[in-house]
Amino acid sequence: MRNRLAGITAALVTTLAFSSILTAQTVAQQEAATTEAQKSARPPDLSGLWTPRPDGIKINTWDSSDPYGEKPELAPMAPWAATKWREARPPFGAKQTYEGINDPVQRFCDPPGITRIYMYPWEFTMIQTPKVVYILYEFTRVWRSIAMDREHPKDPDATWMGDSIGRYEGDTLVIDTIGLNDKTWLDHTGHPHSEALHVIERLRRVDHNTLELAVTIDDPKAYTKSFGGKKYFEATSSPMGEAICAYSEMDSFQKTVIDPTTKQPGK
Amino acid sequence: MNQKLLTIVVLAAGFFAASLPVVAHHGVAGYDMTKTVTLHGIVTKFDWSNPHIVVHMDAKNANGEVQNWTIELAAPTHMSRIGWTKNVMKTGDEIIADVHPAQNGAPVGISGTVTFQLKIVVNGQALPMR
Repeated sequence: MRNRLAGITAALVTTLAFSSILTAQTVAQQEAATTEAQKSARPPDLSGLWTPRPDGIKINTWDSSDPYGEKPELAPMAPWAATKWREARPPFGAKQTYEGINDPVQRFCDPPGITRIYMYPWEFTMIQTPKVVYILYEFTRVWRSIAMDREHPKDPDATWMGDSIGRYEGDTLVIDTIGLNDKTWLDHTGHPHSEALHVIERLRRVDHNTLELAVTIDDPKAYTKSFGGKKYFEATSSPMGEAICAYSEMDSFQKTVIDPTTKQPGK
Repeated sequence: MNQKLLTIVVLAAGFFAASLPVVAHHGVAGYDMTKTVTLHGIVTKFDWSNPHIVVHMDAKNANGEVQNWTIELAAPTHMSRIGWTKNVMKTGDEIIADVHPAQNGAPVGISGTVTFQLKIVVNGQALPMR
């Protein structure tokens, strides 16, 4: 009787001991699995105030073969796009002029568009929430919302900011945008685009104080091939100021400063 | 901001100014960036507003005639980042300003953008530069 009781007790204790070891192992494995899942699910921290790095301030286009816009005629434009580009009278790059400027930002305070806005020497910042990433731009004080939990609608409206969806790939935020109207310039040199424009942005923190932005331009109606480039931004502590593009102020500046420089002497 | 790097970049930008224009939102196409003139005179209006700060001043030219000059600088946000405020000058102040003049000879010039700032002295005090 005692031996049986002892045997049962021993069996119970052993079972309990084993089960607790098993439980501990299972809990540890579960914890490890959760940490790995949390790590891969935790989005990269892209927070901060970002301003163009000084060595990248002169970048005018997203064509890495001509970043400073010195040979804008060489972009792979479709014939109608080349015609439209020739009509552009930009204040930047190889074709720069103050006469008869038709830059839609400078003349009308139109939104610069999501590819051109990065060319200005102003800051931007990102607010990352699980379902939406917001990008706030200092210049013209516009913002974009990047949906992180859906696909593009089948037939999006053509708007100034477009329809943006995003996902994280490791340390990179990948943004895919369609549904852009054709009223903006791709860059500072006046390259046009169509409503078929498809933009991919890849944002990655290279080190704590450096952000890399890689942009791919894909517009089969306006360009015979896709192209892209990179621009680097550095962290700054300077709070974003007000740089609203007010048509009344821009018009006053045009009349006060720009127009006098375009009159020929003696006229 | 790495001051040394910025200094090198500004000097390089000045050296290559003719071929690689410094960037304002509208460029510098109307100005002769290879030429600098120094204007002595009186502030007639200080416009601290977007898109660019504009200084209006009366300056005497070589013939002693008073010219009304219009001088653009960077936007208020960019100027405040180097220490300027809306109070650095006012109508009636004495001013000595270095500018790159308009190519067509009009009394218009550019004294600074986001990447450079030429020397401006108000009532004997030099204002911050880049």
